[in-house]
Amino acid sequence: MSKNRNLKWIYLFLAPSIIIFAMFYLVPIITLFSTSLTKWDGFNEPKFIGLDNYIKLFTQDSFLISLKNLAYWGIIAGTLHVGFAVLIAFLLHKKPFGWKFVRSVYMIPNIISVAAWAMIYRFFFNNDFGILNNLIRKLNPDFNVNWFFESPFAFWAITLTWLFYGVIVTLIVFNELMSISPDIHEAAKIDGANEWQITTKINLPLCKNAIATGIILSITSRIAMYETIALTTRGGPGDDTMNIPIILVNAINDMNYGYANASAVMMFLFGIMVLVIINKLFGINKEH
Amino acid sequence: MRKYFALIAITCLTSSLFVGCSGEEKVSSNGVTEITIPHYKVGQNVGAKFFVPQVERFNTLHADKYKINIEELPQDGYNDKIKQLAQQNKLPALVEAGDTDWINSYIIPNKKYYDLSDFISSNEHISNVVIEESLQYNTQEDGSVSTFPRTSSRPIGLFYNSTLYTPEKPIRDMSVDEFVQSLGDNKLAFITGENAWTTMLFYTSLIANEEGGVELLNSGAKDKITDFNNDIFINATTKLQEIAMSNGSSNMLGAAYADAANSFMSKNSAIIFNGSWMGSDFEQGSEDKWSNGFDGTQVVSDIYPGNVAIDTIQAIGWWIPDGLPEDELEVALAFLEFINTPEELEAYVLQEGGVLPNLEMSEAFKEKQKERVLINQLNSSVTSETHIVPTFEYIVHNSISQEEFGKLLPKLFDGSITPEEFCATLTEKAQSIE
Repeated sequence: MSKNRNLKWIYLFLAPSIIIFAMFYLVPIITLFSTSLTKWDGFNEPKFIGLDNYIKLFTQDSFLISLKNLAYWGIIAGTLHVGFAVLIAFLLHKKPFGWKFVRSVYMIPNIISVAAWAMIYRFFFNNDFGILNNLIRKLNPDFNVNWFFESPFAFWAITLTWLFYGVIVTLIVFNELMSISPDIHEAAKIDGANEWQITTKINLPLCKNAIATGIILSITSRIAMYETIALTTRGGPGDDTMNIPIILVNAINDMNYGYANASAVMMFLFGIMVLVIINKLFGINKEH
Repeated sequence: MRKYFALIAITCLTSSLFVGCSGEEKVSSNGVTEITIPHYKVGQNVGAKFFVPQVERFNTLHADKYKINIEELPQDGYNDKIKQLAQQNKLPALVEAGDTDWINSYIIPNKKYYDLSDFISSNEHISNVVIEESLQYNTQEDGSVSTFPRTSSRPIGLFYNSTLYTPEKPIRDMSVDEFVQSLGDNKLAFITGENAWTTMLFYTSLIANEEGGVELLNSGAKDKITDFNNDIFINATTKLQEIAMSNGSSNMLGAAYADAANSFMSKNSAIIFNGSWMGSDFEQGSEDKWSNGFDGTQVVSDIYPGNVAIDTIQAIGWWIPDGLPEDELEVALAFLEFINTPEELEAYVLQEGGVLPNLEMSEAFKEKQKERVLINQLNSSVTSETHIVPTFEYIVHNSISQEEFGKLLPKLFDGSITPEEFCATLTEKAQSIE
């Protein structure tokens, strides 16, 4: 009886969270899936059309190019981007001279809005007065590249806007490193382990879950990357820097909500896929 | 006691979810009805020079009754904002045009507009000044008028710096080939960013110069063109590519309108394609925009080679959403009435150029207009022989003109795609919208 009365209170206290989840996650997700099977202009009644939106999606060049871009960006994010962020975390963990200053500087991109950052990069990569080209012209006066507007440079210019900013991953890994008991390091040293061995045989395996979390966050950020592209290349030149969120927004602007939601479903599924794959690869949450 | 405390805690937690979900409040104080309308003709936008003071004049005239506030928006975000507001059922009391596709496919079929037919017919000074062709375009099958028709015709042409470029004869009287030859090394201020406005204008003139191009452009205003795989578009695209490669401004890749204007007003480009409203940038009071020895008095205006001018009479204008509260509707109609008074129309044409074919102009206006040299040049370039065509923007779907055209131009201009590929890609994109 007492257990049942407690359950009632548990459910009552859970109610706000359940309402939030239902209102802001569950209902929109269900709506997303159901309307992706319709022709819907966002104003009139949706009309069921089966898988037409998905067929259209997978037969359009812009979506196929955005899949290719996502694959490249996912690989770059999971390797170079996370690798660099982990490296910074390990370096900061050693607390070299000026580490606090470096940590603060490394944080700066995260406190500037993505929109402002995109505009900064527009100037940075500008052919006429951008810092990058002016530096290159010191060596090669004839150098002329419009980074955001020429193939194949636009893809790499977009990549460079996020490649070295993995501060979230750095902080996650850094915190994991800080939580490793100094006793383990001391014991290893007594057993004759050098710094390299401590890093690779102890710290790195113990940070596995944090690194996996970092990879999931980085790749899912690539799936949802919108502002930087919208404010610089808008998916161009042609479709060189196209990605799914741009397709989604363009479809909304064309009042094609069924199609937009089909692309949103694909983003959702890719996110889940990344989560499952990384979970399997890294064995997150498994007891050791 | 604990039970009551727990219940209060749960109630507070649940009710806090809905904080901030209240409806929009209409501000009304001292009998003054206030409305807020989002608009892009603010700040540095070229249309702000006339529009912002005009709204102020309206507010001053009706200080005891109405007030219009402007919510500032960037120009390329205006159409999307209006669509988003429509979805939320929060359209402002006044909307200036917007996405033509959306208006034709949603607002008009669903009759989401306030019928302006009674308003126009009951105000003699308004019904007298509207252009009949535009009124017909905006009149629906049931006789209702969905958006306010045009009262003025504003030919869009080009401006050139006479210290850099001195054509032997008016550009209007040249063929495209003669125009290209006359350019020499002079640069054209093209844009590939935003909606590639200046480039789009020149592209429109190149289409009009092709055989059958004028007819094609004029037919596209109602039925959007989705097939660009034909000689008219391919030839025009080929010429655009060649001219951009030889005479495009150095900053054209990725350039926005401001970059093109800056290129022209710093003498880095000799020609910019734009409408008469840009004329005010070349007059006294705009010196802060000039650099590198540029002087507005050096600028000359003309229309396009082949005697082509761009103007879209078959266009949508201001409209009022249906279902507005009575007091808001009153403000909206009062504003439309105000901006169409002879004084305001004259002021508009003086500032932004164009002609009011159905209005007898005052002597004071005629005197003042003599001072607007550039606008007069542009207006007088248009004769009865001139081919007046709508912009490319009006004959294609919104996302083609606002997104895809500009995004493909860098590839066309750096030679990584051929004109045929350009047209094929545009066709694929346009047909996927259908």
